[in-house]
Amino acid sequence: MSPLEVHDLSVSYGRLIALREVSMSLAEGETLFVTGPNGAGKSTLLKAVARIASPSRGRIVFCGEDTKDYTPEQMARAGFSMVPEGRHVLGSLSIEENLRLGTGMRQDRDAVARDLEEIYQAFPVLCERRSTTAALLSGGQQQMLVIARALMTGARVLAIDEPSLGLAPKIIDQVFEILMRLRDSRGLTLLIVEQSSTRAVIAGGRMLLLRGGRVVLEGMARELDAESLRRAYFGFEADGSDRVQPGEIRCNT
Amino acid sequence: MQYLVDALSLGSLYALGALGIALIFGVMRLVNFAHGSIIACCVFSLIVPSVEAQAQLLAGRLPDWVLVPAVLAVGAGLSVVSEFVVFRRLRQANPATMMIASFALGFTIQNVLLLLYSSRPKSLDLWSQLGQSVELWGARIPFLQLITIGVGLLTLSALSFLLKHTRVGIEMRAAAEDFTMARMLGVRANAVITLTFAISGALAAAIALLLVSQTGVADIRMGLPIMLVAFIATVIGGLGSLAGSVAAGFLLGAVTVLLQVVLPLDARTFRDAFLYLGVIAVLVWRPQGLLASPTTVSRI
Amino acid sequence: MLLSLLLLAVAVAAALTGSEAVERTASEMFIRMVLVIGLYIFVGNSGVMSFGHVGFMCIGAYASAWQTLPVAMKQLVLPGLPQWLLDSSISPLPAAIFSALLVAVVALISGLVLMRLSGIAASIATFAFLAVVNVVYSNWDSVSAGTSSVVGIPVYANLWVTIAWAIVAIAIAFFYSVSRYGLALRAVREDPVAAQACGVWVYRERLVAYVLSAFVVGLAGVLYAHFLGVLNPDAFYLDNTFLALAMLVVGGVSSLSGAVVGVLSLSLLIELLVRMEDGVRFGETMLSLPGGAQEVLLGVAMILMLIFRPGGLMAGREIVWRKLF
Repeated sequence: MSPLEVHDLSVSYGRLIALREVSMSLAEGETLFVTGPNGAGKSTLLKAVARIASPSRGRIVFCGEDTKDYTPEQMARAGFSMVPEGRHVLGSLSIEENLRLGTGMRQDRDAVARDLEEIYQAFPVLCERRSTTAALLSGGQQQMLVIARALMTGARVLAIDEPSLGLAPKIIDQVFEILMRLRDSRGLTLLIVEQSSTRAVIAGGRMLLLRGGRVVLEGMARELDAESLRRAYFGFEADGSDRVQPGEIRCNT
Repeated sequence: MQYLVDALSLGSLYALGALGIALIFGVMRLVNFAHGSIIACCVFSLIVPSVEAQAQLLAGRLPDWVLVPAVLAVGAGLSVVSEFVVFRRLRQANPATMMIASFALGFTIQNVLLLLYSSRPKSLDLWSQLGQSVELWGARIPFLQLITIGVGLLTLSALSFLLKHTRVGIEMRAAAEDFTMARMLGVRANAVITLTFAISGALAAAIALLLVSQTGVADIRMGLPIMLVAFIATVIGGLGSLAGSVAAGFLLGAVTVLLQVVLPLDARTFRDAFLYLGVIAVLVWRPQGLLASPTTVSRI
Repeated sequence: MLLSLLLLAVAVAAALTGSEAVERTASEMFIRMVLVIGLYIFVGNSGVMSFGHVGFMCIGAYASAWQTLPVAMKQLVLPGLPQWLLDSSISPLPAAIFSALLVAVVALISGLVLMRLSGIAASIATFAFLAVVNVVYSNWDSVSAGTSSVVGIPVYANLWVTIAWAIVAIAIAFFYSVSRYGLALRAVREDPVAAQACGVWVYRERLVAYVLSAFVVGLAGVLYAHFLGVLNPDAFYLDNTFLALAMLVVGGVSSLSGAVVGVLSLSLLIELLVRMEDGVRFGETMLSLPGGAQEVLLGVAMILMLIFRPGGLMAGREIVWRKLF
């Protein structure tokens, strides 16, 4: 059973249509990168799955259940955890409190304790400063915290929106390295919104390219060539048929 | 010494009020202008509806150990009902709308009380024996003031414990800081909000009991002055900081007493004006409040 | 402009009924309209909720009273006034202008301080301002007769005077909103950072709106004094603040039409409820509400209106000629 299926999803913010009949699916254990230019609807897709944004049309099926009437809490309890854009660390709580926050819905205390140990081992910097107020952490540390926190919910499907935003390259490397290790050790299914396609290739994942609220390209990251990626990203047809002639002015919708 | 106790006792009252307002503001960004009416309601639950000047006890007849929880339950219950009926539907509305709605609610409740009880203040004897003075460190202090301070400190420590060391408390703090994020982590939004309202209502009830005991009067407008000061304390203390509101409550109590003492006789009637001018000064100096949490300053 | 015609229609209708009570009610409504329009100029355009404007009304009202009371009465009741005020008594229109100007000056001074604040802090500060004004006027007996009322103020604010001023208020508000000051302030309301990046000086724009709105509200105070003939600081405190803000929010806080519609609808509702309390004839039967139920129903009605239209009745839109045809 595929953990996530999206059928003809449309999402609008008032009169602004953010997603137009997008369909996609996630296979168990796979890593899907969603990329595309600004305003393509990537965050909206994740928010719709998390039930933060309401679809105007279409269906989202999570682990076999139609999530039409789910609240965000119910999605979390169903095993879906989202790390939204901008980190959203709960600054007035300590690191440990942040991590424990997501464990409220888990029944098995021993598993929770073991998980916490494992997380602290994977993220040593969090372990060191476990009683510090989260607001005092650096950007990279905060990103690690929110990923760790999402993992503590015991989720099987993890969605992360722009994990590298505002972080230095070396830190991004660190974050991704830990993320991939945990993915492998726990068999997670990942849905990542990410500007850079290189990481998709390194992570061995599939890629979904959105533009203007539609899916314009899809495939295994390794197999997509740079040229077709560039075209899709910036809005050109794959076969070059719409190449602009010298002297021609065209507006791209 | 007398002044110190006065300040602490008034400060406790203000701090309890500030906490009641700050809790709801934290979770819902709602300034609950109905709080004062809830206080009044709790007071009037003690007496039979009538227009007489002398009140007959209703709930007031119950033995003390039943009376206190009963009134607390009235406060909490009323608060929760108001959330369910009014505020739940307005969660997405803009702050101005929510504010006016809470004003309207307070107005409505006050006028219901008016219908039932008339606007004449009634005399009400609740624990008046506590008004007797106690000799302490050379000053004669009404026992009630000590009780007020005691209740204040006890409530504050209990709540503090709740918020810091229990799961529920952590969830409440998380919801107060970033509601949506908390939901995404599985925190049950409705449960947290309901609980917050209930606690706020219970705090209102506590204030009601202390006020009635202190003044011996039941007046439908009783809750208003405290609510206004509580409102101010919440902002001065720093939005998003519960500790700040409590501190500001005590500060306002202390300053009020201080002004009363320090101002020359002629100016005493203007005491409140000075207090409010001081409030403006504080706000201009530190608009985010005295103890604003580090996360309230938003990044661009 | 359409709004003015609408109001004129109401005024004419009221005059036609020939009933003095109706005319008085309509006058009072127009006075409230001036108040709420003044409130809109600041609150609607800046997005900052102000609780203090009724304080300006108080200042304006008393200022006009000081100028227009008969001299003999003044010397008896308000001995603390400066000699030049005690000695003379001037006619209403100049008094009104001077009063409003005084209010504007007070607004300028207080605004210099308050406009540095934003959001909730500013709202609380305005509330503190209201409280200060109330305490001062309630206690400075020699100048304001404290909590006992000032009586004997010449009453001239009848239906036509009030509607004239209401139209003036609408004009002021309208020209402000379409001016670049209004536009700049609304930009600040929507996104302060972006507005500043466009060169808008937040502080100045807010101050302009604040002073202008205080001027209009001061006029409302003047009208109020000359409508009632009696003044008391209690009239300028919480109840009226709440009512004015409610009328603004119920009508729709971000449009001028909202302010007007809010006043109209709530005034109508209040009138209706008061009538129902007195008893309404339905053929043979007499239906009436118990005394005091009127306010309860008013409160409930307001809550319901907000639940069903949280943006207000006009939800930020204006009544414009074009949209009707």
